[in-house]
Amino acid sequence: MNRKTVFLILFLSVAFLSGCYSQKELTDLAIISALGIDKNENGRYVVTFQIVNPGNVAGGQQVSGGAQGPPITAFSVTGDNLVEISRKATTRLSRKMYYAHANLLVISEKLAKTEGILKLIDAFDRDPEFRNTASIVISRDVKAADFVKTLTPVDKIPSNKVIKTLKFSEQRWGRILDVNLQDVMKSLISPGKGLVLSGFRLFGDRPLGKTMQNIQQTNPLVTIRADGLAVFKDGKLVDWIEGKNAGGTLWILNKIKATDVDILWKKEKDAISYQVTRQQTKVSASMKKGVPVMLVDVRAEGGIGAVKVPVNLNSPNVILAVERALEKEIQKEIQGAVQHAQKDKSDIFGFGEVVHRTDPAAWKKLKHDWNDAAFPKVKVKVKVDAFVRRSGLRNKPFLSNFEK
Amino acid sequence: MPSFFKRGKQVKNNPNKKDGINHNLPQPLNISLAVNLDFINQKTGNSSDIVIRTKKIGTHTQLTTAVLYVEGMVNEQSIQDFLIESMMNNSKDLNALGPQEALEKLAEDVVSLGHVTWVQEWDALFLSLMSGNTIILVDGVKKALNVSTKGGEKRAIEEPSSQVTVRGPRDGFTESLSTNTTLIRKRINSPNLWVESMQIGRVTNTKVAMVYVHGIANDKIVNEVRRRLKAIDIDSILESGYIEQLIEDQTSTTFPTLYHTERPDSVAGNLLEGRVAIIVDGTPFVLLAPAIFIQFFQAVEDYYARFDISTALRFLRILIFFISIIAPATFVAATTFHQEMIPTNLVIAIAAQRETVPFPAFVEAAMMEVTFEILREAGIRLPRAVGSAISIVGALVIGQAAVQAGIVTPAMVIIVSITAIANFATPSFAMAISARLIRFAFMVAAALFGFYGVILGLIMLILHLCGLRSFGVPYMTPIAPVIPAELGDTFIRVPWWALWRRPSFISSNRTRKGKNKHPQPPRSRGIVNTDMEQGDRNES
Repeated sequence: MNRKTVFLILFLSVAFLSGCYSQKELTDLAIISALGIDKNENGRYVVTFQIVNPGNVAGGQQVSGGAQGPPITAFSVTGDNLVEISRKATTRLSRKMYYAHANLLVISEKLAKTEGILKLIDAFDRDPEFRNTASIVISRDVKAADFVKTLTPVDKIPSNKVIKTLKFSEQRWGRILDVNLQDVMKSLISPGKGLVLSGFRLFGDRPLGKTMQNIQQTNPLVTIRADGLAVFKDGKLVDWIEGKNAGGTLWILNKIKATDVDILWKKEKDAISYQVTRQQTKVSASMKKGVPVMLVDVRAEGGIGAVKVPVNLNSPNVILAVERALEKEIQKEIQGAVQHAQKDKSDIFGFGEVVHRTDPAAWKKLKHDWNDAAFPKVKVKVKVDAFVRRSGLRNKPFLSNFEK
Repeated sequence: MPSFFKRGKQVKNNPNKKDGINHNLPQPLNISLAVNLDFINQKTGNSSDIVIRTKKIGTHTQLTTAVLYVEGMVNEQSIQDFLIESMMNNSKDLNALGPQEALEKLAEDVVSLGHVTWVQEWDALFLSLMSGNTIILVDGVKKALNVSTKGGEKRAIEEPSSQVTVRGPRDGFTESLSTNTTLIRKRINSPNLWVESMQIGRVTNTKVAMVYVHGIANDKIVNEVRRRLKAIDIDSILESGYIEQLIEDQTSTTFPTLYHTERPDSVAGNLLEGRVAIIVDGTPFVLLAPAIFIQFFQAVEDYYARFDISTALRFLRILIFFISIIAPATFVAATTFHQEMIPTNLVIAIAAQRETVPFPAFVEAAMMEVTFEILREAGIRLPRAVGSAISIVGALVIGQAAVQAGIVTPAMVIIVSITAIANFATPSFAMAISARLIRFAFMVAAALFGFYGVILGLIMLILHLCGLRSFGVPYMTPIAPVIPAELGDTFIRVPWWALWRRPSFISSNRTRKGKNKHPQPPRSRGIVNTDMEQGDRNES
């Protein structure tokens, strides 16, 4: 046998002996879109799998006859650890579990409060299929199982609905945060940065959310809504931040892309609405007598969105006054958020990291007891520079003529 | 088995069995006309298309002469007007002469046709007779007069059907060698355009011409082409493809290492880059050597259109080449190995389609590809009258019905269609057909190893391409080995004012034009305007 023949035989054996070990046909895969994790009364994990039912999701041609079924199927499996559960789940399924498209991880509030999320993360991080970019949310007042099983209209796959809500609400409203697995791990290992996750609630009659009835109505029986930010301390959920405090948190975190700020004008509440279009926050620290003083420097830019009272927006003085009022309002939001976090003793803003950067020596002393001792005492100065770039399509509100 | 091969070799080496033609030493003509004509009749088997016309010339001496030609191969009009009629009219002048003098007189004065030579041996006589010349024999002379009367039916010059352009000349090569050389010489009016003729094919004696521009073509390449052409020993050359396969550097490849074209402008352009053209009588396809890989992605129109447009189109063609090679393979790999690489919504859409399809993705893809190849082959071979039937069957049965029957997914139909369209868009048919073939290898690699297999395949493909040579020139020049100065006419085409050198790896004379011939408008627009104003004034 000459070299060529030997080479050919080796080459062919590479092709045919190895087989197609990682080959998997699409029809053999159960595409998991979301996972919900609960803990039952016996202290065991209950994982709920949300599996996409492709034939019922994809529009276009309706290949299979028969009635239109739900876009997902979901079932819960109980076990002592996540790997066991994922293997055990195969008894319920005809297909191979496929985690690469699971982009939502729901953790129940109860589990997050009692046990914390520290023990859960490793299994997801270690798995080559599961993505580090999957978003993590907390199901508030409700079992993750119920949350994962609820059907949603418009976006047929519920996990898509949740992820899109996170993304667009963060972008347009600025009171919730899209946090993925990677961010969670980063926050958990950093002593100078606490963890916040978005919470979601179910509104309506929960059992009905699992039926097709839910999405066959103009007014769904059960809706999933983003509500509040969960504050974590040492991997456990300690408190919820809501409303304007949540907004303040995002201001400090430099996550505001657009939001709405309303100010008081001539004793009328929420008289002028300001739409933020651009924002930048810089946090710096300085040490005073061993106590860190934080300076939060916010620059906001935006336009007037609506005016309820007659204001002469032609006048630069009026605009300046509006800007001053806006600055005060934003300052108030931010201070509220700071106070809340200090009360919870969890540095969700990452002030510790800033201190670490500016004064590493001082940080060494502070870091062991940062959240409990130092952070609640930190003085926070807030400097806001709000700027009204434009006032929409008109200057003078049409109301000013109406007055006469 | 070994004995079988041995026997085959024996047959090959048998010197007595050579095409039934006597290759003995050249035999001289006989002195007697009757014997000569008998010999001709015997040699040609009394073929009915050989016209032998005997006539007596001169009023007293009664010299018997014979005019021979092959019907249809000659220009009968000129034989009639300038040969036979002229012989009749000058009959008196030949009166007092002996046979030898009479024939000489005929050659010098009587025959008023361009090219007249003498032949003394049978081999030469038959060769010129069969190629369309007219032979004049005179009784009592051991020589024959060979008059060039080549002619016969020719196809008119038409627009080539294979390499169509929107902008550019509309003439294409024909089956006639002389027409083809003319078309080239019309474009290159230079004495340096050298045409070397030879005859290849023991039975067919096909005329083959080697054309190059002396001083631009590299002598080494010219010599090598000549050497390889001379070395051909085969009974027949019916198309330039015979020659292509007999002179190419490497035979175990699907890629073309000689460029072939029907377009005279393409040949002229390549000759001016230093290439050698090989024209074969009887086919409109002219070979060009040496060929490099990137040449197959350059359409002639690239040189006529603006450089930015040409550059964009060349990038498109490279993309097209990759699509036609790896599109189905990529789809198979992504849907059977790397579902995580497909966006979630898309993977769900594809999964939904696949729910009802009973075959694995590879089988489905292979099935569709083979079906399409069958359709395409049928489309080429079928009689023109039933052409519409194929499109109905193809579009409806294969496309629509297969999807509705749940045998293939619409996504696969899209992939196969885009691959097919991409394949058609490759400017060179030889390159396209090669891509068509290796596509299947890539599909198998993808089905076995996923993207890993596709990448392995691509690496092997690149290694293979880098190993190819065309007349000593590496196939991937100037990309590998990289010659930065020559990259101006590869994936991109720099404007003509910047393209002032010929490719160094082909041509020996590198200067194409003067430097710095960037077009420049007059310094001031004002001058133009003043001229116009003055013109106006004069008119008024």
